[in-house]
Amino acid sequence: MTILEVNNLKKVYTTRFGGSPVQALANVSFSVEEGEYAAIMGESGSGKTTLLNILASLDKPTSGEVLLKGKGLSTIKEKEISAFRRENLGFVFQDFNLLDTFSLQDNIFLPLVLSGKSYEEMSRRLEPIARKLGIGDILAKYPYEVSGGQKQRCAVARALITKPQLILADEPTGSLDSQSAEGLLRLFKEINLEGQTLLMVTHSVKAASHAKRVLFIKDGEVFHQLYKANMSDEAMYQKISDTLTTMATGGGHHE
Amino acid sequence: MSRFFYPKLAATNLKKNAQTYLPYILTCIGTVMMYYIMVFLSENEGLGKMTGGSEVQTILNLGCYVIAIFSAIFLFYTHSFLIKRRKKEFGLFNILGMEKKHIARVLAIETLYVAVISLGAGLLGGILLSKLIFMVLLKILNFEVPLGFTVSGPALTAVLFLFAGIFLLTLLNTLRQIHLAKPVELLMGGQTGEKEPKTKWLLVVMGTLSLGWGYYISLTTESPLAALNQFFFAVLLVMVGTYCLFTAGSIAVLKLLRRNKGYYYQIRHFTAVAGMMYRMKQNAVGLANICIMATAVLVMVSTTVSLYIGMEDVLRTRYPQHIMISTPVPAQQSVEGLQTSVKEVLAKHGLEGKDRLDYRYAALVGNQEGDRVITDMSNISDDSSSVREFYLIPLEDYNRLAKRRVSLGDDEILIYSSSSKYEEDTLTVLNRTLTVKERLDSFFENNLNRVSISGSYYVVVKDMEVVKAMAEAQDEENGDDPSGYRYYLGFDLEADEADILAVYQDIRTAVGNDYPGSRIESPVAVKESFFAIYGGLFFLGIFLGALFIMATVLIIYYKQVSEGYDDKARFEIMQKVGMSREEVRGSIRSQVLIVFFLPLVAAGIHIAFAFPIITKLLAVLNLTNVGLFAWCTAGTILVFALFYALVYGLTAKVYYRIVSWETF
Repeated sequence: MTILEVNNLKKVYTTRFGGSPVQALANVSFSVEEGEYAAIMGESGSGKTTLLNILASLDKPTSGEVLLKGKGLSTIKEKEISAFRRENLGFVFQDFNLLDTFSLQDNIFLPLVLSGKSYEEMSRRLEPIARKLGIGDILAKYPYEVSGGQKQRCAVARALITKPQLILADEPTGSLDSQSAEGLLRLFKEINLEGQTLLMVTHSVKAASHAKRVLFIKDGEVFHQLYKANMSDEAMYQKISDTLTTMATGGGHHE
Repeated sequence: MSRFFYPKLAATNLKKNAQTYLPYILTCIGTVMMYYIMVFLSENEGLGKMTGGSEVQTILNLGCYVIAIFSAIFLFYTHSFLIKRRKKEFGLFNILGMEKKHIARVLAIETLYVAVISLGAGLLGGILLSKLIFMVLLKILNFEVPLGFTVSGPALTAVLFLFAGIFLLTLLNTLRQIHLAKPVELLMGGQTGEKEPKTKWLLVVMGTLSLGWGYYISLTTESPLAALNQFFFAVLLVMVGTYCLFTAGSIAVLKLLRRNKGYYYQIRHFTAVAGMMYRMKQNAVGLANICIMATAVLVMVSTTVSLYIGMEDVLRTRYPQHIMISTPVPAQQSVEGLQTSVKEVLAKHGLEGKDRLDYRYAALVGNQEGDRVITDMSNISDDSSSVREFYLIPLEDYNRLAKRRVSLGDDEILIYSSSSKYEEDTLTVLNRTLTVKERLDSFFENNLNRVSISGSYYVVVKDMEVVKAMAEAQDEENGDDPSGYRYYLGFDLEADEADILAVYQDIRTAVGNDYPGSRIESPVAVKESFFAIYGGLFFLGIFLGALFIMATVLIIYYKQVSEGYDDKARFEIMQKVGMSREEVRGSIRSQVLIVFFLPLVAAGIHIAFAFPIITKLLAVLNLTNVGLFAWCTAGTILVFALFYALVYGLTAKVYYRIVSWETF
């Protein structure tokens, strides 16, 4: 079943003082099936972040549509969009986006508190997640007291606790050292195996090589895509590198 | 490099930081204006020549010092805030290749700009406004307004020196900070790690005790004299309590709230409690400052306003009769001579005394210890609260005025107390033991002890012999010449103020010559100086009140702005995690409201508790109209709250503009 469907997405930024408009997305179409683990790759300025913001309903496209489980994001009323986002999407950011004013546990609880869940239910939900992510003993600490890897695992816990349809990850390994990054990617694989759909935006070849499918974006369009099938991580890594080289040296479209 | 590079850069910097610099410059202009006007008034020769003008100028002079000290501290404080915000900018300059001396040069030019603008506009405004304020002051003082317009040279110099000094000081402080910091530190700016605050129970307990003690003093102090002694101590206690409770108490309360899971994990409380904790850690001292300043403004304005409005009351309390004569009558003279002189004066003016009150008396002062009174001045203890005044009045006069027919034995007395009841059966004073025959519940209106703030006793003795004997005994004990007994004569006149004044002056000459040491008083005669003192205080209260309000406003504004920058990132995250705009707004609003109105509410509570002690202090100043004071206090609080709410509305807008984020 298709979880996410993106059709002919276009985004043009017009600057306020009448400068020339900048086209971030030209024509992007793709879909993500339930249980999939997809990565979107592209260089800086290729429109990755714009795409992710639109998928996250933080931004609106100039034209085209995004369907989440068949429901158009543009049809959701402004008032309900936050609740919709909270209940259907989970986010993992490059800079963690944890609030320093909350303990890690409260950070994880935040989306549930916003949905009006009771403390008992929240702790019941947190317990298995915390065990799986190995953050049980740091929950009482504050973000500034723990390492980057630990912070990111808490951010993942925050994304998971709402049982979202889709987790959107924006450069999740971008601020982590290689060991923590490796751990996080393993974690993503595990939760994907449990049935969680993941969409990750990255320009790390290493991170992308863990995904089941990699989409390449260039100049605001989907340029190419790779399926991992039963390739090993290493073989996938090699293939992604080759594609990136081709893209960089200006090869044409090929399927 | 162009010669104009630095001046240009400095100008651009100021323009870029207009959001924070504009209020600062406006405040500089405001303080310059106020200081100029204050010095102008206190140096004004015209004012000095008027009756009571010199008293007013003494009061205004005090105002000058207050404004000078206050401006220095305050501008220094706000400027350091500005610089904190701009550290990142300096770091960038540094990294882009400007050396610290270049940055220093830019900063010096910026300061020069600010100084020139503030002094120019401030002095211009001050000179233009000084005439207006002068007229307002004269109106308040009931003085006639002279024509003409002057610019005061000494005031100009004073302003230039003071503010040049302040600006130089702020510049040096900034340079010191820049000089000490490393570029990376500058880039990091104010964002150093923010640990969760610890609960300091000791401070909470101390604050509570201190505040409670302060309130207790205010509530329980009975006598005005004790109020005078204890007031500043109570103020100090309340200040300490305010600081402790704002810093530690708030955190303790928030932590308790957080421990209550059912309360804490609700949308409306969740972000608010955590946010408040962080805010209180950052702002507690600032908020306590605002609270204390607000309390000071409220107390100052409400008391001076009620004194001014209640001046007629005060005059009437202090001088209950139009003409009041209190004369020492030495042994060889009698009171008939005095009565004749007064009669002659009244006949000359064709007037008649009304509600005439006269009696003979002698006054003793001593420390009361049980049933003994120690009058020996060298033995009087330091404890001023046991000092009592004793008025000895002969039975004859008492019976006449109280319309009674009491008779007394040789050493028998009647006693009446103005404060606590006299409980003993005998009274031993000056080696004479007197037996209390009756404790009186009321006494005739006597107009004695109008200014006094200690408790007093009215003792009715058998006859004039006893009065004279005791007066002599006291003089002898203190080694004074015998001064004899005193005679009080007071009456009202049905005439206008000018006539009363003429009568007063004639009596003064007639009686003053024959009876040296006489005290002759009339409300009409002191009206001008009363107006001068209370009007001067009123003016100063309003003026300083305005200054303090300006300061409060600015602190609030800067708090808001700096919080806005700090909150921006946090609210972005909250929106990303799934908080709707409305929820973020609601959460911000409730927190900002609490932070904003906490000091005001606390100030209100302080005022409520201070009310009893302040009424006692006002009683010292002869203002006994508690109702009037209550109304003035309520009015002042209302005006202040309105003003405060207005500032809140304006700064909240700026705040929302900073926090709201544009990808939406």
